[in-house]
Amino acid sequence: MLRAVRTWRPAIWQKGISTQHTPTTSDTSDMPIKLENPYKEPPKRCVLCGIPVDYRNTQLLSQFISPYTGHIFGRHITGLCGKKQREISKAIKRSQQMGFMSVTLKDPAFLKDPNICDFRLQE
Amino acid sequence: MRRTVEALLKHGAVVRNLENLGERSLPYKMSKHNLRHTSGGYFLVDFDAPTTIIPTMLDHLGRDIDVIRPSILKHRTPDTDETCPGKIQPNYEEKLHSRKK
Repeated sequence: MLRAVRTWRPAIWQKGISTQHTPTTSDTSDMPIKLENPYKEPPKRCVLCGIPVDYRNTQLLSQFISPYTGHIFGRHITGLCGKKQREISKAIKRSQQMGFMSVTLKDPAFLKDPNICDFRLQE
Repeated sequence: MRRTVEALLKHGAVVRNLENLGERSLPYKMSKHNLRHTSGGYFLVDFDAPTTIIPTMLDHLGRDIDVIRPSILKHRTPDTDETCPGKIQPNYEEKLHSRKK
């Protein structure tokens, strides 16, 4: 047997009847002030933000190539922002063509540099 | 070296600066004019010149036997990166719904 269900709504919910909770005053002195998020972190910067990239400092450029093959690392490995990644790769290509930097390997003097990129040397 | 600078001046270039970056071993062996070179001196010349002389200059440098690898670059001072916004997360939702391949 189906039981007829009838929802019962309190009379207060009918339209036209005001409840006790409506604000009597219409000024906004108590409302929260719109502020920018004070706990916002400063935007994440990449490693090279603010450092000019030059084709002549081969040490900086060699930090972004593989020590075994001399390949330029991709953006997912270096973690640079778009502009800097493009600048670095252009500078690497340029210095390689002009005879500042080797193509197939990393200069042995720079092998001991601290590791910026996200790769691990095989032991 | 002197020959190249003189040739530059002859073509109407104003030499601003001349730097010697030292003599060191080249990163890879280069062969030029039937000779294999393993070490060379690096020189940097800053000059202002009309753009029409660039092909003639490159030709001239290519013919010079002492010059191994000539290259001419635009001298652009790197802009200050004060306005670098840092790493911005791409709007993945927008990317998902966009029709671009």
